[in-house]
Amino acid sequence: MDNEAILRKYKLRQKLINILPVAALAVLFTILVVTVQAKGYRLDMYLKIVFNEGVVLAVVATGAVFIYTLGSFDISLGASTLFSATMGVMTYNATGSLALMILVIFGAAVGCSLLSSVLASVFHIPVFVTTVAMMSVLSAIAAQIITTNGGAVGGISIPSALVKPLDNMGFKIAALAVFWLVCFFVFSFTKIGRRQKFLGGNPVCAQLTGIQVNKYAIIAFVMAGLGVGLGAFLTLVYTPSVTATTAGSIGMNIVVAIVFGGMPISGGPRSRIYAALVGGFSYILLNNILKLLIDSNIGYGVSQIVSAVFFLAVVYVTGLNYRSQMLPR
Amino acid sequence: MKKALALILALVMVLTLAACGGSSTDSEAQTPADEGDKTVKIGVLVSDVSGEEALGFRAYYEDYIAKNYNVTFTYTEQLEDAAAEKAAIEKFAAQGYDAILSLAASDRATQIETCEANGLYYAVVSGMLDDAQFEQYKGNEHFVGQIGPSMDTEYEAGYAMGQYFAQQGVKTVGIYGAFIPNPMHVYRTAGVLAGLGCTYGGASDKDGIAGQLFGDQGVDMSKVACGDIQIVGYFQGFGDTTFDELFAIIGQQPDAFLSVGMATTFFADSLNGANIPYSDIDSFTSGNAANMADGTLTYLAGKYSSSIGPIFAATLNAVNGNPIRDAEGNAISISQSYLVATDSATFDSIFNGDKGDSPIFSKDVLDTVIGAVSYDDFVKLVESK
Repeated sequence: MDNEAILRKYKLRQKLINILPVAALAVLFTILVVTVQAKGYRLDMYLKIVFNEGVVLAVVATGAVFIYTLGSFDISLGASTLFSATMGVMTYNATGSLALMILVIFGAAVGCSLLSSVLASVFHIPVFVTTVAMMSVLSAIAAQIITTNGGAVGGISIPSALVKPLDNMGFKIAALAVFWLVCFFVFSFTKIGRRQKFLGGNPVCAQLTGIQVNKYAIIAFVMAGLGVGLGAFLTLVYTPSVTATTAGSIGMNIVVAIVFGGMPISGGPRSRIYAALVGGFSYILLNNILKLLIDSNIGYGVSQIVSAVFFLAVVYVTGLNYRSQMLPR
Repeated sequence: MKKALALILALVMVLTLAACGGSSTDSEAQTPADEGDKTVKIGVLVSDVSGEEALGFRAYYEDYIAKNYNVTFTYTEQLEDAAAEKAAIEKFAAQGYDAILSLAASDRATQIETCEANGLYYAVVSGMLDDAQFEQYKGNEHFVGQIGPSMDTEYEAGYAMGQYFAQQGVKTVGIYGAFIPNPMHVYRTAGVLAGLGCTYGGASDKDGIAGQLFGDQGVDMSKVACGDIQIVGYFQGFGDTTFDELFAIIGQQPDAFLSVGMATTFFADSLNGANIPYSDIDSFTSGNAANMADGTLTYLAGKYSSSIGPIFAATLNAVNGNPIRDAEGNAISISQSYLVATDSATFDSIFNGDKGDSPIFSKDVLDTVIGAVSYDDFVKLVESK
């Protein structure tokens, strides 16, 4: 086979595999709609539920794409979300100011994210290690604050009337759209995204061309922090209370979302900003479909097992794209 | 091309969601049951899916109540946080359920508000709201009420356990604080310390001890001062080092091991094997019957499985248009105490009297409060068992 034929075959396969996550999202969405209607359930409510379940994950994971593009891995994002929401609630309860609460939530989120980055830079240890430490510290601090102030209720909260006006599809869609478009612009139309992909793909080569690793790492963590802040605020909008378990599953779900979205965990040139959005909603849709189709009385965990098998299948299929003799393009 | 496709698909989804989200009002979710001829659909929120108590409750609803009444129960998976609880309620509403029974406690205020917004009747099973929360929501039309141990009852259960062993003359004890800072376990542990005659950080009263335990997120042994009784070890939670902590206590051969929850699930074999008398606050199950008959379980404060019968009856009444309200028109609130067994005979009388087809709150008993019934008659029945 000549080189041109190999290239053609490679491009075709790459196109098919790249379109797979989006096609999977469409298929899952269709299956959910059909299943809900076949069972005679309220489709409008189900779609709202799916959106509410997916929006926080999509927002936090979209910010996290910047970190994952660098080939780094942040497992503390769930704990950061919990910590930021906790600080926000404490601020509101102390001051009665919604604006200050929002400011503190974003400040705490970006601050936590930057701290992870700075610790990794100063001590020259892998980012993953610092985020593991941050996860423990932030969870512990948040739990201490929550249990000390929550008492017998077991959690802290803001008045539900305060955020109820924002607990609607319009606001959440707008928040998601604005954040996603900002990320899309930074990732796709500025040198930041290009250089981060370069750093993720080949850090030594990138540094030799003069790209500053620390600068782009800090930018990545700031973007992730903004995502965490918005995610924490949207969490409070949905349920105006925080317990020690709030956002507990987000950390791992981000990984699943990014993989479902067709982006390699190793980052680099194949990183895609839309991966988190597509993958996040795909994952939530899949979970809901499984729960609708699998009788809850069969046994706990069946849907998780099916979901895990699906996850492995996705990793295998998208992995076909990486096992190539061609350079990524 | 791919980016554009992804964006278009995402926009289509979002617009579909937005369009569907506004297509009907919340009140449409309400589907009142016609008394007698329509199966009443009840969703059950759970945060514990494997404990002996949780399994006992589930068996009572699914194997007994569902067979004797025109009702179905659907259990959620283990709900981890407030968002999961709210989403579960909304899914039940989307599926046309009539009522929610809650055994999950991350955020009961949001649970009530979500049920109210979706026209679902709601009741707290085997637990109580915080006093301030109950005051806030007791007038809600869809809030049926709460029956279960209050935090005062939890403290008293712990206190009675500690006092029992103190009166038995124990000199050394180990304590397991279960899942502090879970409020229920905090109050039970506070009660155990007070019942043993100990002070904590100088405090000897319920609020003084519990308040400090919340702050410390556990028992700080340096703050414990007891009289004649020595606490040889304390631990809580369940993780990699849990059994090391347990065996460290067992190695000191204490006169008793006091647990405020889950010891019969986690540690029964180890404690039975080491021949150390132990206690727990759990439930009256076959496993615990064996532990008391053949093992060293010497004190069990527990709920019996059918203790959750009356709140079902009240919920069914509400769905069928016969809500039980107090004189001021508020939701019911009845504190349910624990039953205590310190020997096999007592245990068996409670356990055997609440099994399978002959539970304490049997159909015959519940039928006396199903239909139009006064608040006082309902309270009288609950408190009679």
